[in-house]
This record gives sequence, structure tokens and C-alpha cells, in this order.
Amino acid sequence: MFFKIDSFALIGIEAIKVNVEIHISNGMPSFTIVGLPDKSINEARDRVKASIINSGFKFPMKKIIINLSPADLRKEGSFYDLPIALAILALSGQISSDFFNCSSFIGELSLDGGLDPVKGILSMTQKAAEIKKKYFFIPESNINEAALIKDISIIGCKNLKNCIEILKNKNEIDKYVYKNFEFKNDNLNKFDIDFSEIKGQYRAKRAMEIAVSGMHNILLIGPPGSGKSMLAQRAITIMPDLNFDESIEVTKIYSLIKRKKYELITKRPYRNPHHTISETGLIGGGVYPKPGEISLAHRGILFLDEFSEFSSKHSEALRQPLENKSIAITRNNLSYRFPCSFMLILAMNPCFCGYYGDESRKCKCSMREIERYWKKISGPILDRIDMQIKIPRLKEELFLKNKDIENSSTIKERVKKAFLIQSERYKGKEINYNSEAGPEYINNWINQDKDLKKILADFSKKALMTARGISSLIKISRTIADLEGANEISADHAIEAFQYKISNII
Amino acid sequence: MENNEINLNILKLFYNLKIKPSDFINIYKNNKNIEETLDYFLKNKKNSPKLFNDKNNNFFQTEKDLNLLMQYFFKNAVFILNINQKEYPEFLREIYFPPPILFCKGEKIKDTDNLKIAIVGTRNCSDYGKEVAAYLSKELSKIGFIVVSGMALGIDAEAHKAAIKESGGSIGVLGTGIDIQYPYENKNLFEEIIKNGSLVTEFLPKTQPLKNNFPARNRIISGMSIGVIVVEAGDKSGAIVTAKTAIKENREVFAVPGNIFSEKSKGCHSLIKCGAKLVEDVDDILEEFKNYIKDPVYNKSLNFNINNNNDDDNFKLDYFKKNYFFENKSKDKKNKSLNNIRNLINFSDDDYLKIYNCVGYKEKSLEEIISSSGLGIKKVLQILSFFQLKNVIKEKNFNNFIKVS
Repeated sequence: MFFKIDSFALIGIEAIKVNVEIHISNGMPSFTIVGLPDKSINEARDRVKASIINSGFKFPMKKIIINLSPADLRKEGSFYDLPIALAILALSGQISSDFFNCSSFIGELSLDGGLDPVKGILSMTQKAAEIKKKYFFIPESNINEAALIKDISIIGCKNLKNCIEILKNKNEIDKYVYKNFEFKNDNLNKFDIDFSEIKGQYRAKRAMEIAVSGMHNILLIGPPGSGKSMLAQRAITIMPDLNFDESIEVTKIYSLIKRKKYELITKRPYRNPHHTISETGLIGGGVYPKPGEISLAHRGILFLDEFSEFSSKHSEALRQPLENKSIAITRNNLSYRFPCSFMLILAMNPCFCGYYGDESRKCKCSMREIERYWKKISGPILDRIDMQIKIPRLKEELFLKNKDIENSSTIKERVKKAFLIQSERYKGKEINYNSEAGPEYINNWINQDKDLKKILADFSKKALMTARGISSLIKISRTIADLEGANEISADHAIEAFQYKISNII
Repeated sequence: MENNEINLNILKLFYNLKIKPSDFINIYKNNKNIEETLDYFLKNKKNSPKLFNDKNNNFFQTEKDLNLLMQYFFKNAVFILNINQKEYPEFLREIYFPPPILFCKGEKIKDTDNLKIAIVGTRNCSDYGKEVAAYLSKELSKIGFIVVSGMALGIDAEAHKAAIKESGGSIGVLGTGIDIQYPYENKNLFEEIIKNGSLVTEFLPKTQPLKNNFPARNRIISGMSIGVIVVEAGDKSGAIVTAKTAIKENREVFAVPGNIFSEKSKGCHSLIKCGAKLVEDVDDILEEFKNYIKDPVYNKSLNFNINNNNDDDNFKLDYFKKNYFFENKSKDKKNKSLNNIRNLINFSDDDYLKIYNCVGYKEKSLEEIISSSGLGIKKVLQILSFFQLKNVIKEKNFNNFIKVS
């Protein structure tokens, strides 16, 4: 006797279809799961048995074999409890329904038959819609997340019994379909922090506005207490809200890690890992690869405070994801790809003691120590950071001044406009922001203006900039022009951009 | 005797027969004849059974290895100058204890026409110190001085770099063997200075940077120079030692004043208090060397003509007439650069001027500039950037702007 039910497995953030096949035969009563299951799937045997009995059904005392196909793919997680239970009940003749063929099932059972939420639900729902399933049965607590996908009917079940009732109810199944979801992102993004809390630091604030507008990576150098972390935290408040597609992208990633609330993520993520983080934690990985901090910061900000304390291994590992905007982790012959298009903010002190270049407190480091300090920072990484700014400590009198300070929402409006211009420009292209633009764009941007070319030549002569340095200067100029709404980059824009480049830090 | 033979014999005396260099110098100073001096020692001493064994240097221990040493020198383009040679720095010959032989690399040391001047200072210097060292070194090189320093980090390195850039050469005196690049951070400088300048040391190859070597090096630095300029030095800095040896040897000592609160200028200030000449500009230095500058031996190597009317008071003015475009320094310079700025770009608005007037010769923070000019951050940054590009204004420390003087 044979029966099969559709379910899903996760590879990175993508889901693939898995057939839960069951065969029941006479013989010694046994219950085997094959198809490279991990510990959590093998333990499903006990959960399924208990929940079937506790839901008022009979567990067949026969030889039961479950196969999760494709059989050569390593599977993990507790998703298959519900399909296994349903397959056993269906094959043993206790339930029957017309919907098994056009539906997919996912869910973890507790011993009393209740359904617990699972991770990665969004990816699976997307896949279910893709393979043209009509219904998708999931645990009720996952429903807000799954309902984001429009092309499929989502049915949330409280427990096994509830699920079976819905399945049996031939004509009224559509009334159980969850419909209440609407995407709203207007009032959700309220922050407790605001840009107006930063006094002085005009250049840093302007730089941050530009950096966010073009998603340029930025390095903040300053003595302790100058407000580096404060700036970085507030950068998130001037970023335009996530649109629906971006929200789904972010939610898909977050859906893979355990968290309390299972619903759509509408805030741009802000990740601030400590420098003791492992390489796997930062980049992603593990036996069953999980997204690291760089992927969790997708569409948002990754802030590495005290960057000089991060090991060189960390910073070297960052190089490739910074270029590619995604990270491929290969395990067991499978490549798991996680997106990681984030804006990188680095903060560090100018030297060991932290006060190099500070007027009021003298630096105690010798020249050699300072050079050693900067040697630790890898050149290629600094090369990939478009903007570098120095942040001095505030002078006392500026603490008390409190006029004409813009708040986050004013700046956000301007950034929004720059985002719009960029999305027009890169419509249908693989890139989204000025910071990602390649040489084909950059050459076009500077072709028109003779003044601009001359200024750029002057810069490269004066500041000994590399070709990459000049092209990042042009990219920053493009963003400044976008903030102004200008069509072409002018010499003025390039000149301002020069302020955000430190050619020689020490 | 050939120079090579003399050199070999001197090396043999010191490193094989264990004659003290100071004894050698005493005899030499009496008879002023190197061959007699050598004879004196070679006759009186038979080959000592004890071989030279310096625990700090295991380069050679036997006669056989002395040849090895000569081979090593030949291979590495190192040459030896003994005290009797014409090319041996003439000022150095006159100090209390001149090194009998110098191991040299690079040809600049043989240039006996040019006056040498030492610029020394702390390794752990401030931006100000760096700037002063580079400025003085550049101007003095331009005039025709050879800048001598100690190849250390900080002031020394800056002085060397500026001199190399301006005149192509400089003399670095080492406290290590000639083959050792110490400090290693200066390795580029070591390579550059060999090309046109010189490296000089009295220590054998493979001598490590030992504490005792450096006062000995300092005496060579001050010895071969007509004067020592201390740019920035703490209370116990090696630069102060150099200045003290310079005073003992009757050299001119100059000191550059600094911030009175700065630890790094304490040594300079105490030198000034003791009578060292305060240096504000190059003319303060030139003034002390009037006699040298007028001396036809050196005059021809100097890059500026002096008035022959022997009027001492006019001397200073002449240099500046020749070399700078202004007579009355501050006033003319200001007008000049303002005109310059007007010519650089036909800027449409007066904002440029506003910012230009806002920034002075004293550091001013960005916040102050914004509040006193009343312009927006965007505009201010643009204009500042523009001036920075044209080298009119520069950024100092963090967010502080100052006019380029």
C-alpha cells in the first residue's frame, strides 16, 4: 500500500519540493524514516505516534516505512510531522480527502496533537505557489508570514484534529482560507532614536545622508565618545521604508532563524555584532548552513564597531560578499546562497589610545604604534569603503546649541527621492544603488563635462588616488547629484565628494 | 700606502690586535700622519694570540675573515673612508674623538664642498614637528646644504624625505651595521637614500641596534655638521644628546619652539633657555653662518648670491629677495594668494571669499566656520574642498581647517 503527500525542504533560503512517501505492509510493527533524515526528523516518529493517539485516532500496528524523496538530499527540521501523520492516517483508511493532491503540508506536532510554528515558512509558501499548489496547510502561528504570498490559499491549522476536519469538509474549505492580510508600511517604522539628537558633527551627518542615499559603505574614525555609534544607529532612521518585495526578501532570511514573532519584517535590519563573533556567525555557515550577520543585515545596515578589533580573518571574509552582494556557502556538495546586500558602517579609533588627532587630549601612542594599528586594517577592505570621515569630539559649547537641527523624517524625505531616481535609472538591471554601479555607468557619467574631468585629474594627482578611489569618488558625486535632483554630475558635486575621502589617515 | 691598504691595516688594528680606537686617534692627532701611526702600532704589537671576539658581532674572528669582510664590502658597494682621506668629512675630523674609519654607502658623503647641517628630533613627533622638519629640510636643501640626520622615525625621517625630494640626497648616520635597516618602517627611505644620498656608520656590519650605539652615532651627526637644528624633542630625547655633543664640539645649536603645553617641545624650550638659537625661519639659521656663506670655498655650492657690500644687516633681506616673491612677507602673500584664488576659478558668488576670510592662520573647526559664515554645510564643504585642492586651505587634526602658510 502506498501513499504520498507533498512537503518542502530548505536549501539556504530556497525551498524545494519533498515527497513524503509512505508504505505500510504487514509484518513486525515498526516505524522507519528513510531519505537522509537528521535527528529531529527521526524523533518525529515518537511525536507523530503520540499526537495521532492523543487526537483520537489509531496508530496502525504494522510495518511503516516513510521515505523523504529526493532521498539523496540531507534533510533537517521538524517540518514533516504533519505530512507524516496525515499520510499514516490516510493510508490506514482513517481519513480521506480530495485535497491531498492539490495541497502541501508543513508543521511540527506536539504530543497532544497541537501544531507548532516552523522556520522558513515564507520560502516554502513561495515554492508552493510556484509549483501551482492550491492549498497550503501550515501551523496557525505561521499564518501572517505565509499570507504574504498571494497566489496560494493559506490554511492555518490549530492542531492535527482541526487540520483533518478542514480536509474532510469538502465544500466549505474556502472559508478557512486566511484572507485578512494587507501590506502596510506607513506607521510601522517608528524609532525611539532620531537624527536631531546628534549635535554638531555637520560633516558626519551630511556624509551619512549621502552614504545612505547611495548605499555607500562608510568608515567613521574618531576618538572615544565622539558619537560614532550614535551616528551609525541613527542611519537606520533615515533609510526609506522597505517596499513589499524587499520586505519579503528580508523576512525570508529571518524566517530561517528562530525568533519569537512570525510575521512580516517591515523595518530595515540593523545588525551590530560584537567583534568576538565567529567567522561562521558573521558570514554564515554551519553543517546545515544558516545565514550569518551579513545576510541578516540584508537591505539594512551592518555596523562593525571597533573594527580594528575584528580579526583579519573576519575582514578578509567580508571582501567577497561586499563585491557580490550575496554569499555562497558550499556544504555536502550543495551550494547554499544567501543574499547580503547591506550597507557597511565601520567605526574605529584613530590609534590604540584613541586620541590621535584630538586637540584636548593628547595621544600617547608612538608613531610606530599608530602605524602598526593601521597595518592591522586590510588595505583591500579600506579600498572597498567608498567614504571615510573623521569625527572629532564635540566642543563644549556645541552641546548647548539646539537650533536648526534636522530630524530624521526630513532627511528621510530627501533620501527617498534619491532612492526613486536610482530605481528609475537601474530599472531592469541587476543593481539597485549608485554604490554598485560598474565602469559602464561611471564612464558615461563623466563623459560630458570637461571641468569635471579636470577636477578629477587634479584629485588623483593631489591625493594619489587609485583607479578604484576615483571611481568611488564619482559614485559618491552621482549620489550627491541625485540628492539635488541634478541630471548630470557637475564639478561642484565631485568637489564636495572629495571631503568624504581621507587620502592619508595617518 | 694605498688607501685600501691603510683601511685594511686599521681594521686589523682594531678588530684583530685589539687596539682601542681612542688610542689610535690620540696618536694620530699628535703626528697627523696615518702611516706613522700605523707603524707605531704594528711595530709595538705582535699579533696577539687572543682573537677579537665581540659578543655583539660575530662577523669575523680571524685574519681570514677580515678578507671576508673586505669581500663583503666590495659585493655590497660599501666603501670605507679613513680619517686621513680627503673625502672624510672635514668637520668630523676635528671633534674630540672622530671615528677612525667610516663605513659608507652612497656617494653623497664624498661631497666636501657642501656644508652639512643636522636636523634632529623626537621619533614620536606631532604633525607640527613633521611639518617644520620637512619645511626646514626643504629650504636648506634648496640653498645647498646637505641635511644630515639619524634615519630614525618621526622628525629624522621627515627631514630625510624632504631633502631627498628637494635635492636628491641626504646623509643618514646609523647606530647599527650598514646592512641593517633599523627601524624597519623606514625601509623605503633606506633604499631611496642609497641612490643619491649616503648612509654612514662606524659600526661593523651586522651590529644590532644597541642602546650604547646611539650616543656614539649622535656625535657623528653633530660632528660632521656645522650646526644642529632640534625640531621637536622631549626632555630626555636623543636629540638633546646630539645638541649637547654639538655644544661641546662648538657647533651651532638651533631649536624650534613649540606649544608650551606640549611634552614634545620641552627639550627644545630648555635648549632655548640655555642659549640655543630660536628658529622661526631659514634666515635665523643662515644668519649664524654668515662667515661660511661668504667663504668662497662654500659659497660656490650655495644656491643664492649674496650682496658683496659686506653689510651684515642687509644679508638676511637679500636671501629673501632672491628666493621669495615677497618683500613684506605677510601682507604681500595675502594679496598674492587672494589674486591667485580669483584667477583660479571665475567663481560667481562671494561665498568663496566669505569662507576664505573665515579661515585664518589659526585652526578653526568646521562648526565654527559654518556658524560664522552662515552658509549651509553642503556649500561650505564644497568651497573648503575646492580650496584644499588648490592648496590654499588644509585640514589639520580632525575637522579643523587652517590656511596654508
